[in-house]
Amino acid sequence: MLINQLSVFIENKKGHLSKITKVLKDAQVDIRAISVFDSAEFGILRIVVDKPELGAEALKNAGHVVKQSYVLAVDPSDKVGSLHDVFALLSDNNVNIEYVYSFVMPNNQGAPLIILKADDQEKAIALLTASDFSLIPKEAVYNVQKY
Amino acid sequence: MKIWSNKEKMSRDELRELQFKRLKKTLHHVYENVPYYHEKFKMAGVKPVDIRTLEDLRLLPLTTKEDLRKNYPFGLFAVPKNKIVRYHASSGTTGKPTVVGYTKHDMKVWREVIARIVTMGGVTNKDTAQITFGFGLFTGAFGLQQGLEKVGAGVIPMSAGNTQKQIMIMQDFQSTVLIGTPSYALHLAEAAQEMGIDPKKELFLKYGLFGGEGSTEEMRAKLNEAWGIISTENYGMSELIGPGVSGECQAFKGMHINEDHFIAEIIDPETLEVLPEGSIGELVITPITKEGLPLIRYRTKDITRLDTTPCDCGRTSARMAKITGRTDDMLIIGGVNVFPSQIEGVLLGIKGIGSNYQIRVLKKGYLDRIEIDVEVVNQDLLVSVTLLDQLYKEIESKLHTILGIHAGIHLVEPKSLIRSEGKAKRVIDLRSENL
Repeated sequence: MLINQLSVFIENKKGHLSKITKVLKDAQVDIRAISVFDSAEFGILRIVVDKPELGAEALKNAGHVVKQSYVLAVDPSDKVGSLHDVFALLSDNNVNIEYVYSFVMPNNQGAPLIILKADDQEKAIALLTASDFSLIPKEAVYNVQKY
Repeated sequence: MKIWSNKEKMSRDELRELQFKRLKKTLHHVYENVPYYHEKFKMAGVKPVDIRTLEDLRLLPLTTKEDLRKNYPFGLFAVPKNKIVRYHASSGTTGKPTVVGYTKHDMKVWREVIARIVTMGGVTNKDTAQITFGFGLFTGAFGLQQGLEKVGAGVIPMSAGNTQKQIMIMQDFQSTVLIGTPSYALHLAEAAQEMGIDPKKELFLKYGLFGGEGSTEEMRAKLNEAWGIISTENYGMSELIGPGVSGECQAFKGMHINEDHFIAEIIDPETLEVLPEGSIGELVITPITKEGLPLIRYRTKDITRLDTTPCDCGRTSARMAKITGRTDDMLIIGGVNVFPSQIEGVLLGIKGIGSNYQIRVLKKGYLDRIEIDVEVVNQDLLVSVTLLDQLYKEIESKLHTILGIHAGIHLVEPKSLIRSEGKAKRVIDLRSENL
């Protein structure tokens, strides 16, 4: 259920993001989800791609600092309060969310999905699996297949 | 204009005789009391008795900051620790500072040489002097304070920083003399104007005595214009005594060296040979009246030249020209000495960053600023921005501990720093040349 995410060190300067996307483009790596927050000087770009190993390798070879780590992809279903239900479920069970960002897959009728990093990923998986929320398998994210 | 001491007007012959007498005494003192020098002289095959003329001084080995580092903290002191009444320290080339110590006698010498220099700068017992050097381990502030008091001037020990308060006190206490680095003095003048105060009309300054960093004639003109003062420059370094080695008189033809206390030589920094008078080279100083830390032929690494032609002021002492450069890579940041090796030492001790770094020195207004690019190499920092922030703060605080100044830190990607062929370009000094 864990999805491979790439974290890349970025400096807050013009052209830095496009440098990274250029590397991925040249390596024929497709970006599924992306997140970067504003920061004064430096930050971390987090991406989910279709070919994580290849993407990480290409970025490393281009001189970037890259870390591979694991996140969860959740379909909270597109209705009022559903995201709250996901967060409440985790927090009620003492699981802390470190960060979250959302993305859309074309074959999911345009409904947003979320990428989520919890401090206790195993417990988060167990909780979400036992609930009504769908955890999206990594193959589905990488290959954009109907699940 | 008053000359503080008759010693400043001795004939050159009389002076040389006195220098030789004091040199001999100093050589015996270090030979007998500093094992390191005893050994160093032995290795060079000389004994104090071999020094028969002033010119023979060149037979003796040179001393460098490295010798002080090797003997940290008190190894080169020539008296027992209980004779030391004052300690100061300045930047070492690595993590440990360079420590200096003064006996009661040394303090008396220090007051005397400062009294002469402030008198050269125009200060009398009617003046009130505002000191904007930091009071602390650095010698600048305490050195000037004692000599000013000896002359009878009033001292306002403001210390560094707190710009608006500096201006307020300057106005309310009617300071007539400003003491500090020339760049901070320019910054203060600008601040006064921003506060709506016209330094020439609403303040009382007459003289500025500047040191701690080099300056140019353009800077002097700017200072004189901005404050309506007469500026002079003075020179020294803690290893030798602190401020008090030399200072400018009102003839502005170089800084008079207190030669009855310091013997000056100019050497070729490559061959280490003594150069004839008038040559440009590295200044080497031998203090000849110190008890606590008498260094022999100390390499200042400062580039200048000497002039013993008579000065309009009536003093007979040799004058040294403004410092035009360094023979090492030491940086002077707002009067504080910084060695790139100190920065490197700190950076290499921190996990998660690369061995490559770049130091940029720039001017922010009139003030020096140092910025350091550091390469992030550890991918495990990418777990959270908090880890990157912690790294950033760790670098900043460790550098502050060692350097005593704040450096701007920039975390950059690996390999983004310029790698030149062969020797890495570690330091880029962007301070404008025209100031």
